[in-house]
Amino acid sequence: MINILIIEDDRNIAKMIKATLSIVNYNGTCCYDGKSGVHEAMKGMYDLILLDIMLPEMNGFEVMDAIKNCGTPVIFLTAMQDVADKVKGLRLGAEDYIVKPFEALELLARIDVVLRRSNKTQNIITYGTLSVDISSHIITDSGVPVQLTPKEFDVIVYFLQHQDIAVSRERLLSNIWGYEFEGESRTVDIHVQQVRRKLGLKDKLITIPKLGYRLESQDKT
Amino acid sequence: MKLWQRIFLSSLCLIIVAVNVISIVLLNNSHKLIIEREQSHAIKEYEYFAASFANSAVYERLRSEKIILSEAEINQIGSSIVSSRPNGQPAAVYTYDKEVIALSNLPELFSLTEFNRFIAGINMTADSYSIRVFNCAGVRYMAVCSTLRVEDKVYLLMTASDVSEIYTLRDRQTDFIRKVGIISAAVISLILLVTVILLLRPLSRLNTYTKAIAGGNYKIRIRKKGSREFRELADNMNIMADSIQSNAARLEKIAEDRQTFIANLAHEMKTPLTSILGFADLLRIKKNVSDRERVEYAGTIVEETKRLRSLSGKLMELIALGGTETEKKPVSIPEMIKDTESALTPILQKNSVSLSAWSEDIMISADEELFKSLLYNIIENAVKASAIGQEINIRAGMSDGNVVIAVTDHGIGMSPEDAKKVFEPFYMVDKSRSRKAGGAGLGLALCVKIAELHNAILTIDSKLGEGTTVYIIISGEERL
Repeated sequence: MINILIIEDDRNIAKMIKATLSIVNYNGTCCYDGKSGVHEAMKGMYDLILLDIMLPEMNGFEVMDAIKNCGTPVIFLTAMQDVADKVKGLRLGAEDYIVKPFEALELLARIDVVLRRSNKTQNIITYGTLSVDISSHIITDSGVPVQLTPKEFDVIVYFLQHQDIAVSRERLLSNIWGYEFEGESRTVDIHVQQVRRKLGLKDKLITIPKLGYRLESQDKT
Repeated sequence: MKLWQRIFLSSLCLIIVAVNVISIVLLNNSHKLIIEREQSHAIKEYEYFAASFANSAVYERLRSEKIILSEAEINQIGSSIVSSRPNGQPAAVYTYDKEVIALSNLPELFSLTEFNRFIAGINMTADSYSIRVFNCAGVRYMAVCSTLRVEDKVYLLMTASDVSEIYTLRDRQTDFIRKVGIISAAVISLILLVTVILLLRPLSRLNTYTKAIAGGNYKIRIRKKGSREFRELADNMNIMADSIQSNAARLEKIAEDRQTFIANLAHEMKTPLTSILGFADLLRIKKNVSDRERVEYAGTIVEETKRLRSLSGKLMELIALGGTETEKKPVSIPEMIKDTESALTPILQKNSVSLSAWSEDIMISADEELFKSLLYNIIENAVKASAIGQEINIRAGMSDGNVVIAVTDHGIGMSPEDAKKVFEPFYMVDKSRSRKAGGAGLGLALCVKIAELHNAILTIDSKLGEGTTVYIIISGEERL
């Protein structure tokens, strides 16, 4: 179980982040000001800290300064779009920087990158008879290796990490191909069809009209 | 060319020319006087020579008892007279036809052609003198020539004297004056240079100072030094710098306030947007959303949307206040307080807060709707700060010639730091509490704007835990 500390003074935003984390089964804990945030972070039981910059009493940069010794990776959340702030945050040792407002999946994607960098995600994901080793890029179905192109591999890994979440074509494009371009959404469709065919996921990896795709989780069927 | 160079060079030229002209004129004048004196001296000498020639002839005639002296005898007399000239000065006797009878001590290089021209210029009939200065082998002679009748015959007589000394004197004086001129020009130029530079130095100081101001350094002030004009100029430049500095500071403050306002506005808009986008996205992408979750998510979206609506409403009011002209007419303060009180009744009842108002009967010139909204906002804040069962007091009256309305609550109060910032846009003493009540942090900023339009100021007096009093101080000019 991944534990994430949310230090955010706006209760509704904190609640929203906690709910977003819960859909990928991360456990979120909320603190509403800098002081209690530092106190909580010092317990050292968190895999990641989401830290707002505009906090009452003690701002995010000061919190960052106080907790940088406990080694937990930090992602800044801020309404400010100032480049100077961004640089300041990253120089203080933050792993990433998310500008409010953000979409749920964008937050999850950033969190994923940071967690993977600090080796806190699982390297082997199993799904039914499928077993995916992310670090060695091997996928087996009941022990038999399946040949996938690198992009097809990335697509199935992304769906496995975001089970039961409706993922738009744009989201897939920006996360796997690294750009956002609507005209290329056919590329996504072709890859998803290949993945479905090769892994026999016809009933599981379903198309959601007007939105994108969703991989149904195994245990609920 | 620079100003100091111009002033320096033109004055120097004028001085040198004037000095030289004056000394040359003086020198020539004195030289002329000396020459004149020398001429009269030479004429006297000539007369003496001529008289001794005539006398010798008479004496010789009487001695030899002849009626008429022969030509040879006269020639003899001429020779002896010529040779007896004192100091060996040159002299000569000619016949009327310009034949030399006797000649002595005339320098050999005495230019004959020039002499002939001189002789030719003599009017042989009149009894006048011809005077001329000859230059002969570096020696100057002044020659005097005239005619003399001796023994019925006309002779031409000439005496000459060495006047070189006069000319050497003049040359020496010219030389001396030239040297003195050069030295004095050098000294004068030095003094002039120093004076000009000293006089114009304030100008270069003013120049560097102006450059500094132009470069954006509005803080520096110039010291008053130099002549009266420069002191006046420095004074005026300092006044100019003062107004530039205050204007720049004012503009900077406005720009800074605007910047802060926009940054705060962006923050205040993004915070509800983050919740709205986040929860809406969750509702969209989650497969199974329980009823409880749906109500919670959608509820938050509604709540945050209301916050945005209130923010945009207040913003519109602020913008409208900045642009519209107020419609002022006579209004009664007690009546406005009564109207505001009844408008606030639902909120007062909801929070179980009572209101007691006392007011002198004062009429002021005000925009009734705006002024009521000012009262409404301030009393509403007092209600928010109060606990259940507490009382809010409103007193209105005259103080120091101004109309003062005081709104006092006995609620939570605030720290001096908060009280200082409370009129700033978007400043909220307790963010979460204020947001729950639908506040956007713009209420008091609006009040300040309305107060400005009514020639009034707002002050605040608060103690943490004891309560707050807000004073609306309206200038006495607005009273009717």
